[in-house]
Amino acid sequence: MQIQIAYDPATNPLNNNEWSFPLLEIIHIVGFAIAMSTIFMVDLRLIGIGMRRRLASQLSKDLAPWTLGGLAAVLMSGPLIFSSDPNMYLNNASFQFKMAALLIALVYQYTIHRKVAFSDPSPVVGALTGIVSVALWVSVVAGGLFIAFV
Amino acid sequence: MILEFFRWLQNTGFATAFRESSLVYPIVLTGHLTGMGLFGGMIAITDMRLLGWAMRSSSITDVVRQLRPWKQIGFVMVVGCGAMLLAAKAELYYHNPFYWTKMTLLMLVGVHALVFHRSVYANTEELDRALKVPVKAKVAACISLFLWVGLVTAGRSIAYWDVPEDIAPVYSSTAPTPAIATANETSLRSRVWSGSKRSLCCVRTTRQKLNGLVST
Repeated sequence: MQIQIAYDPATNPLNNNEWSFPLLEIIHIVGFAIAMSTIFMVDLRLIGIGMRRRLASQLSKDLAPWTLGGLAAVLMSGPLIFSSDPNMYLNNASFQFKMAALLIALVYQYTIHRKVAFSDPSPVVGALTGIVSVALWVSVVAGGLFIAFV
Repeated sequence: MILEFFRWLQNTGFATAFRESSLVYPIVLTGHLTGMGLFGGMIAITDMRLLGWAMRSSSITDVVRQLRPWKQIGFVMVVGCGAMLLAAKAELYYHNPFYWTKMTLLMLVGVHALVFHRSVYANTEELDRALKVPVKAKVAACISLFLWVGLVTAGRSIAYWDVPEDIAPVYSSTAPTPAIATANETSLRSRVWSGSKRSLCCVRTTRQKLNGLVST
């Protein structure tokens, strides 16, 4: 099924100069690196293989603003990138996958993951929570990369 | 000489097979980016800790020591996947000015380590004892942040350099790259362009995809 919205990408200023699109991609990448690293740091602690000098709850609290800042950069640059060619993205299976994974990852991050990290869980619960988190975020990245290849 | 080496590299059996696979190539790209996702922010957090902006309730020593092995794993992942990506299309990278910008920055990261490792990153206990983080450590942190953002910028820019028409890479294997991968890479690349060329290409590929039409 083809989704098509009436929108002419040629009217989008992003498509009419050389630098804005790559600039947005760079913001997207730097933002995702900061968000993902800081989420991974908490995950490593939850799994019990890294950052063990801090409690998961302390680590989570220290890093929360960085995660949020990174996510904000990603979530602002992403829709702008999307606007450069919405019909292509909407019909791209990998993009659809990415959006689904992103939604789940975000909800997970701010509900289960947050709750578990703040409660300094038992090793098994922590490990499970951390592994699910890593898997979700890697899926989001893979979904993004594959947009250009499916 | 470098060009000959790059030509040899892209024609090794491994690089050829890798270039011609439609699935492994994006998977390695994902590895390259996931590696960045693993250690990019860790570098930022380490440097922000030196500047006194992040994780202030942990000592510098704790932050640096705990992150070190993970940064190393991330670095190996990024460089390993990056080397594979280079090998696949080495000759095209050879001509790409952004590729060399990126390599220069990578070399400067090495120089940064040589200059600051002993006095800053391996000297964190002293930094923790000091009343204020010494200027040298803050300078090291700022330079590191600039270098890494520069690396990402140069890296992304590689894709936005138009290959001049007179450059035709020498591939020993003439097997076509899988049609799907080529088509989509082209559509991605065709955004890259000069001025109005880009929006035209962009609109055209979209319409073609939606209508299933061949370009008129």
